[in-house]
Amino acid sequence: MERRNFLKSALLGGIAGAVQLKPGNIFASESKEAQGETDLVAVMGGDPVTMYKRGIASMGGISRFVKKGNKVVVKPNIGWDKKPEFAANTNPELVAAIVKDCLSAGATEVVVFDHTCDEWQACYNNSGIEAAAKAAGARVAFAHDEKYFKEVSLPKGLRLKSAKIHESIIDCDVWINVPVLKNHGGAKMTISMKNFMGIVWDRRYWHANDLQQCIADCSTYSKMPVLNIVDAYRVMTQNGPKGKTTEDVVTAKALFMSTDIVAVDTAALRFFNQFKEMRIEDVSHIQKAEKAKIGTTNLDTIKVERIKI
Amino acid sequence: MYKWFKRGRVLVSLAVAILITLAFLFFSNRDNFFFSSFLKVQFVPALLGVFTGSVIILASLFILVLLFGRIYCSTLCPLGTLQDTIWRVASLFWSKRSRRFKFSTPKKILRYSILAISAIPLLFGSSFVISLLDPYSNYGKISSEIISRSEQFLHNILSSVFPDSIFFRTYSQFIAISFFFALGFLILVVIMSAFRGRLYCNTICPVGTTLGFISKFAAFRPVINKESCNKCQLCISNCKSECIDLEKGEIDVSRCVACFNCMTVCKREAVSYKFMWGKRDVDNVFPAKGRREALVTMGLLGSFIAVRAISRKNPSAPLNTSDGIAPPGALSIANLKSNCTACQACVSACPNGIIKPATGEYGINGLLMPVLSFEKHFCGYDCNVCSQVCPNGALIPLTLEEKKLTQIGQVRFYEDKCIVVTDNTACGACDEHCPTKAITMIPYGDKGLTIPIVDRDICIGCGGCEYVCPATEKAMLIEPTSVHMVAKKPIVEKQEKVVVDDFGF
Repeated sequence: MERRNFLKSALLGGIAGAVQLKPGNIFASESKEAQGETDLVAVMGGDPVTMYKRGIASMGGISRFVKKGNKVVVKPNIGWDKKPEFAANTNPELVAAIVKDCLSAGATEVVVFDHTCDEWQACYNNSGIEAAAKAAGARVAFAHDEKYFKEVSLPKGLRLKSAKIHESIIDCDVWINVPVLKNHGGAKMTISMKNFMGIVWDRRYWHANDLQQCIADCSTYSKMPVLNIVDAYRVMTQNGPKGKTTEDVVTAKALFMSTDIVAVDTAALRFFNQFKEMRIEDVSHIQKAEKAKIGTTNLDTIKVERIKI
Repeated sequence: MYKWFKRGRVLVSLAVAILITLAFLFFSNRDNFFFSSFLKVQFVPALLGVFTGSVIILASLFILVLLFGRIYCSTLCPLGTLQDTIWRVASLFWSKRSRRFKFSTPKKILRYSILAISAIPLLFGSSFVISLLDPYSNYGKISSEIISRSEQFLHNILSSVFPDSIFFRTYSQFIAISFFFALGFLILVVIMSAFRGRLYCNTICPVGTTLGFISKFAAFRPVINKESCNKCQLCISNCKSECIDLEKGEIDVSRCVACFNCMTVCKREAVSYKFMWGKRDVDNVFPAKGRREALVTMGLLGSFIAVRAISRKNPSAPLNTSDGIAPPGALSIANLKSNCTACQACVSACPNGIIKPATGEYGINGLLMPVLSFEKHFCGYDCNVCSQVCPNGALIPLTLEEKKLTQIGQVRFYEDKCIVVTDNTACGACDEHCPTKAITMIPYGDKGLTIPIVDRDICIGCGGCEYVCPATEKAMLIEPTSVHMVAKKPIVEKQEKVVVDDFGF
């Protein structure tokens, strides 16, 4: 090599190193080769279990979140006395797959529960979640009475200063939030943050005291889920959150997971927007949560991975 | 032989009483109608339910009584079994002397007047009086208010011992008047039976009186053989109906409950259960008179049913105002008030625990009859349990499809009380709970808020919105429909299937 060429390349290399230019950063914001852990994974086109497996693998596996000996809570949406095809509740197969995965990672106990809206035994039964979770090895906890909830203060909340939170969340080591993506008459959308309404006892207070702000406030809770997994295999696009018929449902075959609850809700909302128009400003709890520094709505600033099956 | 009759009688009576009690217990009445199906084999429910599928049961009960006398009272009646049990327990504490029954003269005027005041209102579309006196219905109230509450208490003790596997039982309504009525009735029955055996059955019970008339002409009747009898009084001292008159050597069959005690204890086989049809000449029996009374009773019962059939088609004076929402299947408040005996089968079976005994919602003649309360929960959309368990036809059985269109009430929206208006913040709790989408959300203001709008024609009055409304003064209230109507079917909104093959971000 000639001395001039050497100097030239050394100089250019030095500049490149100084400004930290990497090929990935120049050409795309979604590099697979990028270092560090993935923040958000979006999967599309498979059945719930396959999508989960692909998704969790690219998040670094369940062992990134669940350590050996952990007591884990998996919190699906079991709000309604509806069968899985109505998409009012989280997909039972997905819940079962997560439970199994946690147990295989060495969790000592996996608890599944929800504070339901319809009569709780009917919800647990007809959603198929109780049976699926138990078969997968989870314990299904009761959440139909105030005695299962304990007062927790939320110092960063603006309207919701404290809430009675389910004891299994308080007692666990880590918890995984597994909502289903749905349209919602009042809150506009129900995704990950709105799923917190099932870990608290008094939801009526939220409705009476600025619902959107309370949803954001509850996500200031110090013990946040280590992972949010949004089930969008079947998506209720209208008449949510309970729905009337299967006409309200589209089979979207998607799944989103992230450690950032605001980001995953943003991603799921943008996906939903392709079926039914939905502006992020109207689902105002998402932006309120961003304001409270819970997470980001700017998906370009985090490491996103997209998988199509 | 009579020893075996008695044992069989005791066995059947205990089995029936247990099966009926289980229909009222949480532990056994979930997800099945096995136990509640036995409630239909009761006299007053079968009589009131004669137009709604109980004809065969009523006919069978008549045949049973016509053949064997008031054996109904000592096998099928749970209150009878309860009284026998109480006597059995109480007699352990009594001295030998006071343990002996004595003959008592029939209280005919009392019995007939009570029968009249409980039966006559039924002809005019009110089952109120019978609801306070019917043995089955009062046994139901005792089961629901006292036994089932004790069960709940036990259940909750167990739930604190095994918190992971046994859940805490919540929302049971406590209506003081209903509880104290059941308790008071139980105390009355305990006192009467502890001292005097079947005194309730032979003074107050309208069913006992009615069946007593028929049993005067029963095929099998207990008869004393005067030649073998040495008047040792053993039969009398064991007769809990106090109906054996040894002076005359007669047994008052209208009060005898065919318990077989006298036949079992008699050392000389002087009392026997005999086939009496066509035996005119036997001493001390007046078949002609008995037959006449039995025929008159059957005739009266026939006309009674006929009158009720006529008044059923023309409900007298439709009620326009009512504060109470009747459970689905009631058809109308008038129908409920003419057929319900407040046995609380529906109250204890409701999975959501929203049916409570009425205090004043239906007026005084609807006291303790089932009324819905949306204070602690609401009526499940995919549930028709109450209509299935009612033995009387006060709630007629509804299929799930029928139930989903049965309009027990209609919602009214008070916009000025709605959170969206008063606080200018999002809510939509009512819309969230509405199963038929009689409530939908439409844009409100320029903050991207939505406010409910109601379509009363498709509302079924389930009360989800009323229950969940967070406003201090509810913005959604269900107004009862005194005659239940058929709601319009919910509109199915087809949506065009958008093909999405991208993530959208």
